[in-house]
Amino acid sequence: MSKIQKMLLTSAMAFGLSAGFAAAEGNLIDNLSTVTDDMLLNPSDGDWLMWRRTYDGWGYSPLTEINKDNVGDLRLAWAWGMSPGGRTQETPLVHDGVMYVMNSSHLIQALDASDGTLIWEYQYDRPDDASQNGVRSKAIYGDNLIIATRDARLVSINAKTGQENWNKQVSDYKKGYSFSSGPIVANGVIVQGTTGCSKAQPGGCFITGHNVDTGAEIWRVHTIAQSGEDGNSWNGVPLASRHGGSAWITGSYDPDTNLILIGVGQPYPWNLEMAGLAPLSSDPNLNNDALYTNATLAIDANTGVVEWHHQYLPTDGLDLDYVYERILIDSEFNGEVRKQVVTIGKIGIIESVDRTNGDWLWAKETSRQNVVLSWDKTTGEKTINPDVIPVAGESTFNCPADPGAHAWQPAAYSPLTKALYIPTIEFCSNTTVNSLDPGEIYTGGGRQTYSRVEHPDGDSNIGQVRAISMADQSEMWQYRQRAPITSSTLPTGGGVVFVGSMDRKFLAFDDTTGEMLWSSGKLSNALESFPISYSAGGKQYVAIMANHKSGLGRLSTITPEIQLPPDNPATLYVFALPD
Amino acid sequence: MTLLITHAFLRLTGALLAVVLSSLMALFSSVGVVSGANPEFYDVPFANNQWKIGRRVDESKLRYCIDRRNPDWELAAEIVETVAGALLLEPQQYVVNSDIVDEDITRIYAIMLEHCDIHMGFKLLPGHYAEWITLTRSYYQAEYVFVTADPALLKLADLAPSRAIGPELGTSAHIRLVSYVKALPANDRWPIYPMGTSELMLKSLLDGTIDVGLVWAPTFWAKKRQDPTYEKIHVIDPSPLPPTSLGVGALLLADKVFLRTAFDEAIAALIKDGTIDGILKKFNFPARIKP
Repeated sequence: MSKIQKMLLTSAMAFGLSAGFAAAEGNLIDNLSTVTDDMLLNPSDGDWLMWRRTYDGWGYSPLTEINKDNVGDLRLAWAWGMSPGGRTQETPLVHDGVMYVMNSSHLIQALDASDGTLIWEYQYDRPDDASQNGVRSKAIYGDNLIIATRDARLVSINAKTGQENWNKQVSDYKKGYSFSSGPIVANGVIVQGTTGCSKAQPGGCFITGHNVDTGAEIWRVHTIAQSGEDGNSWNGVPLASRHGGSAWITGSYDPDTNLILIGVGQPYPWNLEMAGLAPLSSDPNLNNDALYTNATLAIDANTGVVEWHHQYLPTDGLDLDYVYERILIDSEFNGEVRKQVVTIGKIGIIESVDRTNGDWLWAKETSRQNVVLSWDKTTGEKTINPDVIPVAGESTFNCPADPGAHAWQPAAYSPLTKALYIPTIEFCSNTTVNSLDPGEIYTGGGRQTYSRVEHPDGDSNIGQVRAISMADQSEMWQYRQRAPITSSTLPTGGGVVFVGSMDRKFLAFDDTTGEMLWSSGKLSNALESFPISYSAGGKQYVAIMANHKSGLGRLSTITPEIQLPPDNPATLYVFALPD
Repeated sequence: MTLLITHAFLRLTGALLAVVLSSLMALFSSVGVVSGANPEFYDVPFANNQWKIGRRVDESKLRYCIDRRNPDWELAAEIVETVAGALLLEPQQYVVNSDIVDEDITRIYAIMLEHCDIHMGFKLLPGHYAEWITLTRSYYQAEYVFVTADPALLKLADLAPSRAIGPELGTSAHIRLVSYVKALPANDRWPIYPMGTSELMLKSLLDGTIDVGLVWAPTFWAKKRQDPTYEKIHVIDPSPLPPTSLGVGALLLADKVFLRTAFDEAIAALIKDGTIDGILKKFNFPARIKP
């Protein structure tokens, strides 16, 4: 890639294309409205302004044009080829009929969301030695897009012109710090989680708050307890020996409390003995919970003060992150409406915490797993199966393995059905601790080898979509298929739930019965991203990115019959009803 | 170059002539590593713009990579140049210049596609490499060593249980240490503070965060050459633990089978005639040959 940062304005006005085109695209982009705090709090039904569309993380579109009765007529409206190389799980944003996409090459493009016409593009100058992958999400605020980059920068770009406003280095990518998901803008503050804090970054990761006009850092929250009582949860190892706690998924925001609810990943390396977390110290003042890994942090958006934390899985030795979606739901529990934050860890257990104070409320098991034997019904404290904890010199058998029974493609919530729609996967692994010291530098990896197999009591259906009522945590329906379900879910106001799978199909289900209402033909690649729905020119569209990300690609070893194309093409597909 | 080839040729035995021929055959028959027939998933990395990386045309060269971040890069270059001479190939060096602290091994894929047939400096760990990688035999064996800044401490057995050991994180020696320590009664265990890098580990010895470090001997050798501060640190007797020793070889993409065989045979011959040992001694390098 060129070292010279380039900014291309390919709009009709900039390059003198046809007058008609110029007028149409010019009007579209000229009419783009400023995204206000109120818009983010109550977005237009046709807009998709942040990763999960709304601050509550529902991932729900209220649009109704595409519904249970007509979804079977869905057709490809347009497609857009994304830059080759790298990998992407892109979530497009849509505002006032303009779609913004980020290619894995960090080429940012504005498209006419009704037909895919390119309006402008901006090439971020990513260093060649940074990760060549894309970033899952981005933000829009005021007149600007806020982009996170793989080399740990935040970049502000004018949404009308593609011109760069500012560019801020947050941390040193040469030490492994990176951004794999983008920011959320809450109460005028950019909140960004950092990942890659594995080996060369003693003290772990952090979450930062930034001035939206300059990118200047306002606050920083360390995801690994640094000192005090919480710091005693690291088995006595000094800060220089604590690793992990990546905040690699965008959080949610509760405007009532001004709290960011965001997840933190596991300690590193995965193996507890190598991480210094086992054997447990004989010092009674120490424990090995490894705070704040596998926890929700509730952070004041403006001050960075951590108001509370809740840890779901202490002492994680299996790479079973609890870092994924934080879905904010107000729902009755024990006869009282509680402001809940709901998440699902890699184990596939749904857990709810009171988002005002961190009190644990309830849990619900979904996929088959053998890691958690039971949990305390009051505190949520888990009893872990000791037989599955990897130790040097033995192979252990655990379900699920590292990509998780539920991966980072989030569940979504529909206010119509008051149900959570969850993509899940059932599989297991023979797990072996291994050293990984091949060269002085090439030592990346989690230091455990997962040999993935089907669940011994399974039905060979690796992928599932589950609908769980948030009223009573009962299962409303479950859909099972051989191919892993690999995208997030998208429930809509039309009573349809969309989801993508590894075998290149985009599917639609009845949100109340689970009946499959529509399936796309085979698309260009696996669907591992985050579908959205929006309106442009008065018409509803559904969009999803096809690309094969390495994470869930690990499942290809147990579904070898699913053939995907070489060179990993990336394509954005947009569907609509016929005119 | 001519002198180099002539010199090498004079040292060749009849057996090495076969090596020469087979290596040349390998180079001429070399094909691109990217197969269009099979999809590439997690196991085979993706190199950006890999379709723009054409097949090499100059097949009389041995293109090799060394990485300045490896402690042995200077002597590795001398070893591979000697091998190239033995194989009647012109060595072409590519130096990986990067200050990335820690990388996943998949990063090597693009480097190999674009710059080299063989990359020096990888520990031979059975079962630890992906299928797209193959490795040569070792050209030396080295150990992980326990080190300390305490002048009075001469062997690990004398370290009090209250004092901490800081192994470089995730190494074979680290696993062996952990396995030993967890078998001890709780009150007899040394605290183990894993260190993310050798640099951090050595600094932690000097500032007292840890009392004993566990480091790859070539790394310790290189760090002492770079920074005299580390002269305060010395190696101690590892007993009651046995030493952890690993062979070091070179890495190739998996389809370079003939070149690997040629390299292996050349290394065997150069070990046998004392050439490799001479290079190790020249650098006073903490390693030995394994016939």
